[in-house]
Amino acid sequence: MQNEQLVDLKETGLSEEELFAHYDNNLYESEKVTAPRYSYWKSVFRVFFKKKLNIVFLVFLAIVIIFAYIYPLITGYFFNAEVMYNINAADNTAKHLLPADAIQKFGFSLRWILGTGDVGQSTFDALWYGSSISVSLAFMCAIINMTIGILLGAIWGFSKKVDIVMTEVYNVIGNIPYTLIIMVFVQILSPSFWTMVFALTVTGWLAIAYFIRTQVIVIRDREYNLASRCLGTSIFRLTIKNILPFMTSVIVTLAAAEIPSYISYEVYLSYIGLGISDMTLGRIIQQTQSFMAVPQWGFEYWSPIIMSSIITIILYVVGQNLGDASDPKTHM
Amino acid sequence: MSKYLIKRIIRGLISVVIVVMAVMLLVYNAVDKTKIFMMDPLIQKKNNNDKISYRYQCWEDYGYLNYVPYSDWLSEEVEKGNIDAATRDEAVKIGKTAEEDSELVAKYVKQFTEYYESQGYIVGRLDPVLQSNKSLAKGGSQRIFAYKNVPIIVRMFKYFTGIVSIDNIHYAKGEVEGKRGLTFTLHDPAYGGEKFSPAIMGNGTKYRYLLYFDNKFPYIHQNLITISLGVSYTINKGIDVWDTMIQPQGSIVKTQTIYPTGFVEDSANDMHTLKYSEGSRDLGGLFTKTRYTDDYTIAVTEKNGLSKMGYSFIIGIIASLIAYMLGIPIGLLMSRYQDKWFDKIGTAYIIFIIAVPSLAYIFMFRAIGIMNGWPITFDGSPTAYILPIVSLALPSIGGLMRWSRRYLIDQKNSDYVKFARSGGLSEGEIFRKHILKNAMIIIVHGIPGTILGSLVGAIITERVYTVPGTGGMLVNAIMAYDNSAIVGVAMFYALLSVTSLILGDVLMATIDPRISFTSKGR
Repeated sequence: MQNEQLVDLKETGLSEEELFAHYDNNLYESEKVTAPRYSYWKSVFRVFFKKKLNIVFLVFLAIVIIFAYIYPLITGYFFNAEVMYNINAADNTAKHLLPADAIQKFGFSLRWILGTGDVGQSTFDALWYGSSISVSLAFMCAIINMTIGILLGAIWGFSKKVDIVMTEVYNVIGNIPYTLIIMVFVQILSPSFWTMVFALTVTGWLAIAYFIRTQVIVIRDREYNLASRCLGTSIFRLTIKNILPFMTSVIVTLAAAEIPSYISYEVYLSYIGLGISDMTLGRIIQQTQSFMAVPQWGFEYWSPIIMSSIITIILYVVGQNLGDASDPKTHM
Repeated sequence: MSKYLIKRIIRGLISVVIVVMAVMLLVYNAVDKTKIFMMDPLIQKKNNNDKISYRYQCWEDYGYLNYVPYSDWLSEEVEKGNIDAATRDEAVKIGKTAEEDSELVAKYVKQFTEYYESQGYIVGRLDPVLQSNKSLAKGGSQRIFAYKNVPIIVRMFKYFTGIVSIDNIHYAKGEVEGKRGLTFTLHDPAYGGEKFSPAIMGNGTKYRYLLYFDNKFPYIHQNLITISLGVSYTINKGIDVWDTMIQPQGSIVKTQTIYPTGFVEDSANDMHTLKYSEGSRDLGGLFTKTRYTDDYTIAVTEKNGLSKMGYSFIIGIIASLIAYMLGIPIGLLMSRYQDKWFDKIGTAYIIFIIAVPSLAYIFMFRAIGIMNGWPITFDGSPTAYILPIVSLALPSIGGLMRWSRRYLIDQKNSDYVKFARSGGLSEGEIFRKHILKNAMIIIVHGIPGTILGSLVGAIITERVYTVPGTGGMLVNAIMAYDNSAIVGVAMFYALLSVTSLILGDVLMATIDPRISFTSKGR
């Protein structure tokens, strides 16, 4: 009925000055605060880039990725690794050269800055090709393990029935030596890239799922989630809106530790003779380990070791700091 | 508490059984069984039917199947007295094909086939392989045999019932010299029979000495209960995995030995380990007859080195001790001077240890060792222990630093510490009396695992420094397709990890009265 009381202003016959009052810009009102605009990912990158060290490591990471995935295209390793590896095999004077000798022989080029190996191949080129396979292996395993681990871990944490069953499964599988599982799979299937991925992921997700489960259980029963559930929020929305934001930093930190660990694991397996047939960093280390004792050839052995260490450290530090930055507590 | 413990132990044992089953399924069923011949030099020399029966023989030895050649069955029947030797010699001459069998042969072949087929065996007949000139090819003679795959349940049952065996006086199957029984003596004959040294000796048992004293730690030894985890087929042929782990290695040590006949000689044979072997005294001729009075002739030789487990344990335990003594105090200092230079250096070290492949830093430590002139190949001398211990300790120091720093910092920011501070306690007091006690609870949890874990050995460290420890056993067994050794080692690992988890929880509950495993308490 209020509508009837509305009146046309023109009909009142009053001037505008009488109808409207001037509102002064006043200090008291301007002190009122509204919430600042907050974008989660913008804040993550703001915090991440605030540290100068992170930018340096990010540049290193970019260099690693460019050299691992674009450089072998230039050298031709991606098209035919076997041919490129044995390109100097007929030339006996090209074998086991130290960097200075290699540069003297072939002229200065990026290829020769680490010298040559046992069949006259460029150590630098071979290492980057090996790194590309090792890094791909690590990322592939991390993606598979993290996806399965997080999904199952979330269910594991939420459902008490699943928890009883899965905890027993975890206790049993955790007791089977990991090396044994990997070795059996490498033996059953041919030792190829995908065999290794399969072997590393067939039980690898379990530890991640257990970790996520513990985190979910911790957050699940916090008061704000309890309140949310009382108000009738669906489990799905609860997971997406309440729990996942908390988990992001945990997940990123976990991934940062996982990726280098797969590279390490591949190196370890190759060393004990259970590696794959592709030319990975681990296989290069395994092949060159006998050169360590030879005075002039030690360089060939240390190059892949140092290279794998540098790559894993870069991946680890970038990941850890990204994990720190994605923790909302650091955004203040 | 005790009820909970029993429950935990039972569950742990079930999990061990499941692990053994999973491992058996993996090694016996998942891996192609022809792969065991990949590194066998003997099979290259075998041809045609010889090769096939050699394969079946090997599969039986590895535990895949039961294999009975026709001729063996005939010999068995002779032993049982069902047929006489002359008939056996006739019946063994099988024809080139089934049609060419003589009547007698056909009768026994039929009997053989019926007997084994009724037991679920598959009976196979291999026709002769002939060369172009109709003569028999090498190893191509005809043969008949029966085989049956061993089902996993049977294999598991046999395995678990065979783990612990108790010696008894009915062990020796054949004739035993003298009366079967146990005798207790106060004067051990191995010391000449005059020195006071009590011993329990058996006749008809597997071992001669069931309980005895000697001058080696722990001075009292027994042979009454023996553990067998699985007899190795390739890596240490005929020897049980458990014995491979605990028997001394190195070069033999000769001491004055008094044999059962009274014969005295400088020998490495340990008279306390004499084992029964049927007919061995006659088989050894004059040598055994002058030394032994009966068939207890198999002795373990004394050696100067430690066992595989001994080396791994010494290295592992010293490394863990160093790790705990350095890692925790460093982590403690790092948390105390958080974000100062000390913390930063420590964090850099932790990142190095976590991120860098373990192989890489072990080789870096090795290079440092070479520069200091430490021996890099293990020979048992005290300096040879330095590098393996350092290589094992440094990564665990990193891990302990990381965890103790993390826990201590978490505790430092907790409410009870703020309360204590507001209550006027000094920083040192808070640290010692409150923070440290709480943070140590979690760290203590890992101690049993660390101690038992050193029995398992370290694969890479032992390989790099050529330490003869337990670390390489699983890898070697897998590489050689030594199935029973794989199962044995895996079972040992599983048992250790279950035990260390339970012990860790118990230790934690003992230290911290707040932790209770019974749900009623809370």
